[in-house]
Amino acid sequence: MSLFWIVIRRLAEIEAMATSKKVITKEEWEKKLNDVKIRKEDMNKLVMNFLVTEGYVDAAEKFRMESGTEPDIDLATITDRMAVKKAVQCGNVEDAIEKVNDLNPEILDTNPQLFFHLQQQRLIELIRHGKVEEALEFAQEELAPRGEENQSFLEELERTVSLLAFEDVSNCPVGELLDISQRLKTASEVNAAILTSQSHEKDPKLPSLLKMLIWAQNQLDEKAAYPHINDLSTATLEDPAI
Amino acid sequence: MPASASISASSSHHRASPDLLVRLGSTDPEVKLRALREVKNQIIGNRTKKLSFLKLGAVPAVAAALDAAQSELLVQSAAALGSFACGFDAGVRAVLDAGAFPNLISLLSYPDEKVVDAGARSLRMIYQSKLAPKYDFLQVENMEFLLSLLSSENETVTGLGASIIIHSCQTDIEQNALCHAGVLKKLINLLEGSLSQRDASLESLATIMKDNPEAASKFVSESGRALSSVIDLTKDRYPRTRMLACRCLIVMRNTSPCHLQDIGIKTKLVYLLLELLDDPGQVGEEASFVFSSLIAQKEDLQKLAFKANALDKLHNQLLNYSSHPRRFQGILLVLADLCSNLESCRSRFLSLKALKLVADALTNDNADVRAAACICLRSVSRSIKDLSAGHFTNEVIVIPLVRLLHDPCTSVQVAALGAIGNIVVDFTTHKSTFVKCGGLKLLVQLSKSMDPTMRLKALWALKNLTFLADNTCKEGILSELTTPLLSSLICDPEASVQVQALALVRNLVDGCINSVEYAFAENDIILDAIGRQLQSASKAEIGIQGMYVLSNIASGNEFHKDAVHQVGL
Repeated sequence: MSLFWIVIRRLAEIEAMATSKKVITKEEWEKKLNDVKIRKEDMNKLVMNFLVTEGYVDAAEKFRMESGTEPDIDLATITDRMAVKKAVQCGNVEDAIEKVNDLNPEILDTNPQLFFHLQQQRLIELIRHGKVEEALEFAQEELAPRGEENQSFLEELERTVSLLAFEDVSNCPVGELLDISQRLKTASEVNAAILTSQSHEKDPKLPSLLKMLIWAQNQLDEKAAYPHINDLSTATLEDPAI
Repeated sequence: MPASASISASSSHHRASPDLLVRLGSTDPEVKLRALREVKNQIIGNRTKKLSFLKLGAVPAVAAALDAAQSELLVQSAAALGSFACGFDAGVRAVLDAGAFPNLISLLSYPDEKVVDAGARSLRMIYQSKLAPKYDFLQVENMEFLLSLLSSENETVTGLGASIIIHSCQTDIEQNALCHAGVLKKLINLLEGSLSQRDASLESLATIMKDNPEAASKFVSESGRALSSVIDLTKDRYPRTRMLACRCLIVMRNTSPCHLQDIGIKTKLVYLLLELLDDPGQVGEEASFVFSSLIAQKEDLQKLAFKANALDKLHNQLLNYSSHPRRFQGILLVLADLCSNLESCRSRFLSLKALKLVADALTNDNADVRAAACICLRSVSRSIKDLSAGHFTNEVIVIPLVRLLHDPCTSVQVAALGAIGNIVVDFTTHKSTFVKCGGLKLLVQLSKSMDPTMRLKALWALKNLTFLADNTCKEGILSELTTPLLSSLICDPEASVQVQALALVRNLVDGCINSVEYAFAENDIILDAIGRQLQSASKAEIGIQGMYVLSNIASGNEFHKDAVHQVGL
């Protein structure tokens, strides 16, 4: 978090100065960084928020014991949420739906889009396993009525059913529906809905902070040469290119 | 996996089956539990399935499981009943008819937290429907129960308490009872709670303070932080919370303008709501109605909204949301409010070419949209300048508008009459379009309606149609309306209708000497009726309009003057 503010502050300082690019050496930069004090608790909260939102329950538990940071949600609910997410990721959509309904029956009852996407994923799994008849029956019985309720669902349904028309599904215009990324997309949609139902934010804070860091660096690049962070995973300061 | 893995027996996407009904009634708790889960998992999110299970008679069978002793059976039964009741009135009715309500209530005092949660969730679903039984706050034990719900640790249970208030608190007696019992304090505490508790609290607070200045000032004085907490929530990160906070503040402001006086908060509310209108979902939809409640009949706020470019934004929304009935209705109503007083708004409206969009909305499939389009037209057509320019008397507007006079929905008819009343004013050359497409005939028909509002509005329009009309037009009107009908409308049981009938005669006999003769058709029955009304006038306005009629008549020849003398006033 601190890096972001430093960069912003630098940005303001430099903007006030002349138009020529100023060069800041690594030593100067590090000195400035050292001047900024960040509370350890804030950093810990940020980490805990990430672990909880992304569902790393064991890590969150360990981190809680080591750092004394209390999670803002009951850790037991994470296990349930992860079980749902994992079921979708493995293609056990029916199982996932039952688990969501056990967790909170309101989620799918009040979220038609999510419900449709889960049913669509079920259809995709049937098609993937070559269960043509069952897939058709399922599309007719379960999905067609949703299509009648909503035009955009109908279009998505048509797209999905068209998978059946191709011999080689891996090489057809709608083939990406069979891709693993489709499962991940559905899984993250369920994950977000469960988090929202638990009054929890659906995205962790850390990634948006990193996005802000990149944005701020880009802004600063126009004004100055300074030690850049290019590799976010190591956060190494690289010598300014002159 | 090979294709031969074929149809699995466990797939649960078959139709609602009678066999399931048998298993629901099983004495084996294992079988029963599985059956309950199956029903629940089939109906959640699936309206079609809810309906087919309903027809099969599954609801009483599911409700019967509430007598069970095992927690798991209770949880599954309550969850299934809640899903039947979720957003589905037929389901709510079936659940209530099955006698499940008292059993669900008793689940709330169960020791197992999961059972309590499931029961509260189901009841909350029921209370979101109009069909839910009204909760009697005036009974002491009911109030205590409500307070216990609001004090619960369980979020679903506090949510239920709020839903009960939102559903059942209607009169100021009930509002005051809730205030005196300390409900405001509980709700203020919930403003600091979780997302769902904050939303529930904001909605309940708005319900309790609506049109009740006593409740509003009690809320402000309850705690120094109460009002500022709500103001803070207008900056919340969740759009729904922001919208509900705005609504709560607007309810307060409309109830007792003494709170929230400063211009800052007014401007803030205008900008907040304009931003919320962009939300593509339900929040954006509701925001238009909230916005309307902010600016309706408040010229200062209409000015602020105009300055904030509200008209341009709403015009864009009209273009984008014509296929979303409720949102479309909301936008039209906001436009109607904006154009109700300010000429600047009306001229911006016309320069954006929004009129065409509103004219199209007159033929929308949805009755609420059609009515809203009429209300919007009425506001816009208050502009004398644009009326004179004949902007509203073209076929694109007049023909659909006249058609709405026999709309199956009364509220649409009334709204259409309101718009027509303005549009037919004054401008002789344009009146023919209206008469040609059958508008006059329909107005006369509606002036015989059993519904007094309809008669009133129809006469209003006829009166305006007669205003400064030429003789051909006047003759047309009178021959359609007939002298006996006009004289009976002068003696209508409703005073407001009498006023309009007299004003119509006043316009009829205004102008050249020939016009005065209309009052003497068929043995002077109109003049006689006027005389009778003037002698027994129950309202000043009747006297005023009657006197105008007489003075118009007296401006005629000697014979006419004598006739006025003989009215005997």
